[in-house]
Amino acid sequence: MGFLNYTFDWSVLWRHPYGNMFIKGVVTTIHLSLLAWMIAVIVGIAIGIFRVLPIRSFRFAGSFYVQIFRNTPFLVQLFFWYFAAPLLLPEPAQEWLYDNVPNYAYWAGVAALGTYTASRVAEHFRSGLLAIPHDQYRAAYSTGLTTMQTYRYVIAPYAFRIIIPPFTTEFLTCFKNSSLAMTIGVMEVTHTAYYVDSFTSHGLETTTAASLVYLCIALCVALFMSFVEKRIYIPGMIARGQ
Amino acid sequence: MDMDVIARNLHFMLGGLVLTFELAIITLAGGFLVGLILAMGRLSSRAWLYYPATCYVHFFRGLPLILVIFWLYFLSPVVTGRSLEAFYAAIIAFVVFEGAYFAEIIRAGIQSIPKGQAMAAYSTGLTPFQCTRDVILPQALRNMTPALVTQAVIIFQDTSLAYVIGLREFLRRVNLVDAREARSVELYLFAGLLYFTFCSAGSLLSQRLENRRQRNRV
Amino acid sequence: MIEIKNVSLWYDKNHQVLNDISETIQRGQTVVICGPSGSGKSSLLRCINGLEYFQKGDIIVNGVSVQDPDTNIHQLRSNIGMVFQHFELYPHMTAMENITLAPLRVRKKSKNEAEKKAMEILERVGIPEQALKYPAELSGGQKQRVAIARALAMEPKIMLFDEPTSALDPEMIKEVLDVMIDLAGEGMTMVVVTHEMGFAREVAHEIIFMDKGRMIEKGSGHDFFNHPKNERTRQFLSRILI
Repeated sequence: MGFLNYTFDWSVLWRHPYGNMFIKGVVTTIHLSLLAWMIAVIVGIAIGIFRVLPIRSFRFAGSFYVQIFRNTPFLVQLFFWYFAAPLLLPEPAQEWLYDNVPNYAYWAGVAALGTYTASRVAEHFRSGLLAIPHDQYRAAYSTGLTTMQTYRYVIAPYAFRIIIPPFTTEFLTCFKNSSLAMTIGVMEVTHTAYYVDSFTSHGLETTTAASLVYLCIALCVALFMSFVEKRIYIPGMIARGQ
Repeated sequence: MDMDVIARNLHFMLGGLVLTFELAIITLAGGFLVGLILAMGRLSSRAWLYYPATCYVHFFRGLPLILVIFWLYFLSPVVTGRSLEAFYAAIIAFVVFEGAYFAEIIRAGIQSIPKGQAMAAYSTGLTPFQCTRDVILPQALRNMTPALVTQAVIIFQDTSLAYVIGLREFLRRVNLVDAREARSVELYLFAGLLYFTFCSAGSLLSQRLENRRQRNRV
Repeated sequence: MIEIKNVSLWYDKNHQVLNDISETIQRGQTVVICGPSGSGKSSLLRCINGLEYFQKGDIIVNGVSVQDPDTNIHQLRSNIGMVFQHFELYPHMTAMENITLAPLRVRKKSKNEAEKKAMEILERVGIPEQALKYPAELSGGQKQRVAIARALAMEPKIMLFDEPTSALDPEMIKEVLDVMIDLAGEGMTMVVVTHEMGFAREVAHEIIFMDKGRMIEKGSGHDFFNHPKNERTRQFLSRILI
């Protein structure tokens, strides 16, 4: 019955001032996720390497990082970065932060998403490295290649192809998780959908639009990656899962 | 550091854990059921089962959970004519969303069973239903237990998202205490530690199960 | 050419893998090592080209001590070819690229020269037509022949074979053994870990039987098969020669 009482008004998606808000929201989602992803890849690969080094304290540090970040909800981490982290700074630095960084929430979101995603990237990177048989290294060394050459010509290209599918998945997860930044007030696309609803009460249209944004991003990335995979296709390697 | 703030509000905050566990357990059971049905669809050779199930899985795996919660929140008044209680909105959103993830875990578990098992079952005269229920599923379940435990840990963490529609689960209560007491460092460390305790227990269990499975593999 | 002097190797305190192994291998000889799995055969092989670090004893190859800190281990290895049980071809490179990698990077040969040489060797192992295929597109026997070609491309003085036929289907074993028999006939110094007793009988100058890290028995092909001295050797032979 209630269905009839609702009239769709899709114009909330482009009508002034909501149209601009949406565009800004999409843009924010994209650069927040991309920045976080860059942190995630750099930190994640470093941690992943830590976890396979023959030095016990490095392995322990790497494993500690992964355990901490994987076994607490991302939302708690986000709140910690936003509410608690500044309080750990000395007083003057706190003042400076609150006075001079008006979009601190955004940077807290980037830091939280980056470090969290890094823990997941690290695990994929590590299992990629471990998936290469020991004798593969030995084969390279046995022909006289140095350690550098072995990694550069044999191990890296091999590992690269193993980790592409899980990295693609993680990249998309990073995008989806960026939506949580709304809880600390970052105006990304999910928050925009919610926000526009509060003026127009047309939340159904706005959430549909936001959903389409995520699905479009997922589709674009999937298409791009299948192009990349075709470019680097080698018989017998990379069987991309569903 | 002022640990007293935790002691003072401990009772109130831990009270939220009840709701957190309630959400997690219902989601786990419901999500598994939805996942099982979807997985059967994903593995079916009938197009009218395969395509809807596949679309469902891809659709929900492409969306952030928070958006699914909003969707339900906005959609339910339109369909039912009145707003849904936040608790039910959260539960339905969780089940619908996590079902897509369960589907893939279950599908992988079923596909890990060699084809010969089904053939052996059919050769003794079992029907497809009996074969699935008595031969394939029990083995598949054992194979996917570690992944299921990991997913349970993820769900436990995901319940914190019920926060956004105002449910007073554990994290929401920590948040409320922080708003009053302004002791963010202590409170969020405490929240993190508490989640960490439960989740790492789960992760450890998953690891154990996986190691045992690897050892017992024929 | 290879002098193994009292080598002992432990993986950890309670796990001794090699126990006081001594052996001298002359230029042009083929030595076959056999024994049950876990007897330390493969570890001994890896010690010869420095892929395994041993705690006691010394190995001298061509007058150079393998574990001497002053030894250029990469140069040493480049003169010792090695072939693995599971081939360990680099899956992201064609057969040709697998063969030419070390000549290009270690020997700094020109691409032309390296490829010309690679083709010659591929002819020698009987599969010139497979040069541009990836490992996943080759049969097991072809893979192992490419792996042998990869080792031969460095013009090694010594070849080490680590169970080169045990991952192969029976019908492919012969094509690999034929290549090895040719090599032995051309006067290559070879150390072969294998259970192919027919091969051992035909080409081995000496056969060594190992068990639990010890060298139990060694002798010429004739003595070893017809008059084994040790009871464990007799047991092993009666199992394997059925």
